[in-house]
Amino acid sequence: MNSLADNTIMLKVKAGDLDKMGLLFERYHRALYGFLFHMTYQRETSEDLVQQVFYKMLKYRETFTATGEFVHWMYSIARNTLKDQGKSLKQRVKHENTDDHAERLSGGLTPEEQLEKKQAKLGLYKAMEKLSDSHREVLTLSKFQELKYQEIAQILDISEIAVKTRAHRALQELKNIYEKTER
Amino acid sequence: MKCEQYEGLFAGWINNELKPAERETLEQHLNGCAACREELASMQQLWAMMDEVEVPEPSPSLQTDFRAMLNDFKATEANKKGSSAGIRQQLGWLLQWRQKWPLAYTFAIILVSFGCGYLFFNLKGGSKQDKQMADLTTQVHELKQTMALALLENPSASERIRGVSYTTEIKHADKEVIDALLATLNNDPNVNVRLSTLDALTHLAGHPEVRLGLVQSITTQDSPLMQSAIADVMLKLQEKSSVKSFKELLKQKDLDHGVRDKIKETITQLI
Repeated sequence: MNSLADNTIMLKVKAGDLDKMGLLFERYHRALYGFLFHMTYQRETSEDLVQQVFYKMLKYRETFTATGEFVHWMYSIARNTLKDQGKSLKQRVKHENTDDHAERLSGGLTPEEQLEKKQAKLGLYKAMEKLSDSHREVLTLSKFQELKYQEIAQILDISEIAVKTRAHRALQELKNIYEKTER
Repeated sequence: MKCEQYEGLFAGWINNELKPAERETLEQHLNGCAACREELASMQQLWAMMDEVEVPEPSPSLQTDFRAMLNDFKATEANKKGSSAGIRQQLGWLLQWRQKWPLAYTFAIILVSFGCGYLFFNLKGGSKQDKQMADLTTQVHELKQTMALALLENPSASERIRGVSYTTEIKHADKEVIDALLATLNNDPNVNVRLSTLDALTHLAGHPEVRLGLVQSITTQDSPLMQSAIADVMLKLQEKSSVKSFKELLKQKDLDHGVRDKIKETITQLI
């Protein structure tokens, strides 16, 4: 796996070889962007945040201890960055962006089934957006970032059981919202 | 077991993380429980549908922005090191080695002292001397400040206390130091660290932001020790604006009795 190499690379960054951060950027900026996008639904903001997270990882490189995985550390920093930013993110902007996304998803002429599929997709997308942040976070980390519950537990600093329960509740909530909007 | 007790297993199931034994337990339950079967099936369907949710790609400018940021960062880092003519860097480096190599450290200190002595006497009388000395003083001052700030982040409480005591040696504490001290005062988990921070901040009470920070801190402190120590400080500083915060504190029901009396007394003395 990459993980050993990730930590090795980050330790090199810590030791002063700052250019090595470029490798980690190549590996993780897409995943990180995906996570931040699901947490904000704003494309530009997400790009800004990716940049901020990498900046923080450079600035606070001394705090990387390699006792855990690099990705966990990265997501923890991403979460803190989100928290700092959180108060300034406006709900209103979120919705504008969804409409944007809706246009992109259903843009152009498409055969009927395709359209239907896209609408279902969009419904789910909108339902996800309505989830509470903590529920969306746990689903994003497990589904899109493909992390194991035990890894998520480390990132969120809660027990694995709590993560599983939260994931379950999140899916329940998602299902309820989705069914409501589809009817 | 009730259905709710299988919730954790549901999550494990859809993510394919169940151990064989767990899988068996869940399967057994599912065999006898139609409601759970249905629920799990719909969750799994939803989970699969989420594969279709698209995430937009970041724009290509992210890549270029990152490179620019990295270069900027490297430049500032190099600058930091360069500007202090390496002295700071070398001292910092020595400090890092201190614990492992006490002897080497002592030896290095002797060398540095000789070096400084040599510099000092060699340049004596020269017009450069004053400037060099001033530079050196600034560097030592900066070094102290950096060390104090770094120590404040240390996981060990005694190290943090050491960091706090360093800040008292800094003649002109700047905003960064004050902010760090106020953050420690409000957030440090260890009461001894907070107490010594309070002491250090008292010395800096000439700064208006310190006074303001101390007043604001009154209501955030939950330890009786801290509450009464702050009351002492406020009395010493004759900070009348603290009365309002103290009154606020008195409203807390679980306030220690001794502290309550003390604060009441403080308020009367301040007014």
